[in-house]
Amino acid sequence: MEKATVVVIGGGATGVGILRDLAMRGVDVLLLEQRDMVHGTSSRYHGLLHSGGRYAVKDAEAGRECIEENKILRKIGRHCVEATEGLFVRLPEDDEAFEEKWVEACLKIGIPAVQIAPEEAWRLEPNLTHQAKSVYRVPDAAIDGFRMAWQNVASAKRYGGRLKTYTEVIRIEHSNNQVVGVIARNYITGEEEFIACDFVVSAVGSWAGEIARLAGIDVHVQPDRGTLIAFNHRLSSRIINRLRPASDGDIFVPHGSITILGTTSSAAKQPDDTIPLTAEVVELLKIGEATFENLRDYRMLRVFSGTRPLYSADPTAKGRGASRNFVILDHAKEGLNGFASIVGGKFTTYRLMAEKMTDFICKYLQVTAACRTADEPLVEDISPQLLAKARLYFPSYGTNLAVSRLGGAGLERVVKRMEKDPEKSQLVCECENVTLAEVEETAHDGTSFTLGDVRRKTRMGMGTCQGAFCTYRSVGALEANELNFGKDNIGLFKEFLQARWRGIRPIMWGNVIREIELTRGIYDGTLNVNGAIEHEKR
Amino acid sequence: MRKDDVIVIGGGFAGLIAAAASAKRGKKVTLLSFGMGTLTVGSGIVDILGYNNDGTAALTPEVAVKMVEDDHPYHKIGLQAVKESVEFFLELCREEMYPYIGSLNEMKWIPTAAGTLKPTCLVPKTIDVARLKEIDTIYIVGFHCLKDYYAELVAKNLKTSLGSDNKYEVVMINHQFSGGRDVTILDLARWLDSEAGRAAFIKELQGKIKPGAVVLIPPILGTAPDYLVLDAVKKATGCHFIETVTIPPSISGLRLRSMLINHLKKMGVRMIEKANVMQSILEDGKCVGVVTDGIDRERSYYAQSFILATGGFYGGGLISSELGEVDEPIFKIPIQIPITQEKWSNLNLFSNEKQPFAKIGIRIDEKMRPLDEKGNLLFENVFVAGRNLQGYDFCFEKSGNGVALTSGYQAAMSV
Repeated sequence: MEKATVVVIGGGATGVGILRDLAMRGVDVLLLEQRDMVHGTSSRYHGLLHSGGRYAVKDAEAGRECIEENKILRKIGRHCVEATEGLFVRLPEDDEAFEEKWVEACLKIGIPAVQIAPEEAWRLEPNLTHQAKSVYRVPDAAIDGFRMAWQNVASAKRYGGRLKTYTEVIRIEHSNNQVVGVIARNYITGEEEFIACDFVVSAVGSWAGEIARLAGIDVHVQPDRGTLIAFNHRLSSRIINRLRPASDGDIFVPHGSITILGTTSSAAKQPDDTIPLTAEVVELLKIGEATFENLRDYRMLRVFSGTRPLYSADPTAKGRGASRNFVILDHAKEGLNGFASIVGGKFTTYRLMAEKMTDFICKYLQVTAACRTADEPLVEDISPQLLAKARLYFPSYGTNLAVSRLGGAGLERVVKRMEKDPEKSQLVCECENVTLAEVEETAHDGTSFTLGDVRRKTRMGMGTCQGAFCTYRSVGALEANELNFGKDNIGLFKEFLQARWRGIRPIMWGNVIREIELTRGIYDGTLNVNGAIEHEKR
Repeated sequence: MRKDDVIVIGGGFAGLIAAAASAKRGKKVTLLSFGMGTLTVGSGIVDILGYNNDGTAALTPEVAVKMVEDDHPYHKIGLQAVKESVEFFLELCREEMYPYIGSLNEMKWIPTAAGTLKPTCLVPKTIDVARLKEIDTIYIVGFHCLKDYYAELVAKNLKTSLGSDNKYEVVMINHQFSGGRDVTILDLARWLDSEAGRAAFIKELQGKIKPGAVVLIPPILGTAPDYLVLDAVKKATGCHFIETVTIPPSISGLRLRSMLINHLKKMGVRMIEKANVMQSILEDGKCVGVVTDGIDRERSYYAQSFILATGGFYGGGLISSELGEVDEPIFKIPIQIPITQEKWSNLNLFSNEKQPFAKIGIRIDEKMRPLDEKGNLLFENVFVAGRNLQGYDFCFEKSGNGVALTSGYQAAMSV
């Protein structure tokens, strides 16, 4: 029988934060995620590490937490944070009185907002609209949600933390008002198992209501939909925010070679209400054009949606009006000991949320170890010898990317594969510099059950060509190495491209429609994937 | 000022065929091209029709052509012209000493790089699948450092698509010319262009395959439109070689393009590259000329008739710059489109019906002339051919290059 002292439900930012914190404090902890890691909100957002400027006026507490956590994550998350800095830009239509309030609020909270002349802003960011009235520099940063999560997991594993993906919790078992374990179902095989534990923590964001209901407890989380656009270019070197009360479509975040624009805000029907709509995209473009007038000249890569887990004790608060603070709900109040939910909050403060939650659990378990997650880097230092070896096989830029994806131990295993067979250093995905050795290593890591899992961990297929070339290469490479996840490989083609299609379908104009004609031409016109599927059906 | 009988706009397969057919009729022809068309992206073979409307496999291309819906280009072109265009193409290939094989009465199921089979009609001799059914030993040749082709994938899926009774054996070839770096299919085809490369390849093969078998190979049998490499490897090994169709770049498409360009040169067609046609000059409901922009200045080209073969969305013949808008940039021909963006496409990328956006295009009459929304003729002397036509989804029905061939031919004949 599987056993753990604490079961963490939810493989998003908060969940992995708690996993790492508990493991570092010596608690036996197991994380259960219903699908793949960060398949929910933690990967469906801007990838913005807030400076706090966004919240400064409305919510000083949230702003203060952001700037503190921002400083910490830059330090511990060197391999998932890109310290781009950010600009707050006020346009003619934005309220001047708000600017005064904002400057004052930033000063009070301790967010270093430095005013620069618009001319200086245009020199730094030539694409920025020349309508800008005033501009401030703030320490915003870009953060990669996938990487951050896996780096937390890798760090937790070094301390004995465990995780199971594709494992849904379907019941919370208790006896005498005390949690004794959970029943979990494997999403792929359908098998159910009992996992004994002393404490269950629900860190499931938008799904908090669903999990609490398993124990017959009510938690009011209102999932709020946000849609975002990924552009195939870096529109700016820095993050660009509109200097106005938080609203739709006013943040641009550059990541590697792309930029993400978001977001919209509307009540979601359910936590996984994440199919983006054309109308949302049109609205985003309209607003975004005020900041970058030539926005429509850039090719969109894809669009995606996520749901913010807005929590309010007051069930009538909606959208951006609701607080972004987090709350720990001790369900002992409802008469069940050993069960708590953490709700609300935002990505930037995930570590702080995890720390508070872990403090709470440790107090319950009478563990006295202190939190060290703010001091120890997520990725251990890579030895110069290993880096030098890796550079023999990776393209120069690719080495750094590989370090950030794989960490030291992973990189070492990948380099070993390449030393054994130099052919494995070939790039399966040229857009994101992903080598065959890395694809193989990732497929073998024990938490990859679909090609999509490999994609999310390596970024294969997530770049410029959106799978047009690397789908064939990756399916072929996996098949050649007898790694097809026990699936028919035509199904793998279909699954991989369908995942891309979800984000392409709502934006079929401009170069997007050209790209999809090419992709279809290859996979249907030439390789007859559709015909093969129909052939198998018959 | 030069005035042509026909100006063909577009250097893809439809444009090249339209120019060739016009020249054969004794017309004075200028071909304006910008870029290479999609012959090197697709696979140098001519699919006429592989699947019926409901997604069932067609018996023969001819049977399928007879059953198309009214808005399909084949319906406008008519079976007779489809037949003529196929004959025209086969004869052209024979003349150029690079004969193609196939007929409208036979569906050829050819192996792909994914190990699936794909229905097609006209293929070069390097894709002659006649022996595939008779011989049960099939070698699947792959190459080290070639990431665009996986022999193991082909072998595994052929067991399903072709039958599990055959003996499939993967043979990996060491080319040793790249020093360990990635190679492309084009690198390998160039390697076989050279005598030394051919000799090295044949030597590698001879140790690994037995005579009398079928050998499946990526499309690397030389870059030139001839069968020199095919004949050499056949003779040296005693095996039947079949090239599979692969992801781009397509070498068989490159060969076909070279052959057609050679042919047009011989026929005296004036070819102007980097000619980006920006607009047309219209007088009294007729087009008298077109204007290109160049690095130095605009240039005007005049002719009696014009064939518009600028491609679809991919090629730039149709442009959708905004949500729910589609423009044909040169003649501003109005294009009918589905009402809402959500109706442009199916929920699934691979589904058992045509993608609505793939059917967006120019509406034409029987003479391939453009019509407006109400069905009125727009220009008497403008003819349309290729991917910019309305009413077909070449990916779904497998009519890639087929509509281009037949409509290019028919446009030329209608002038």
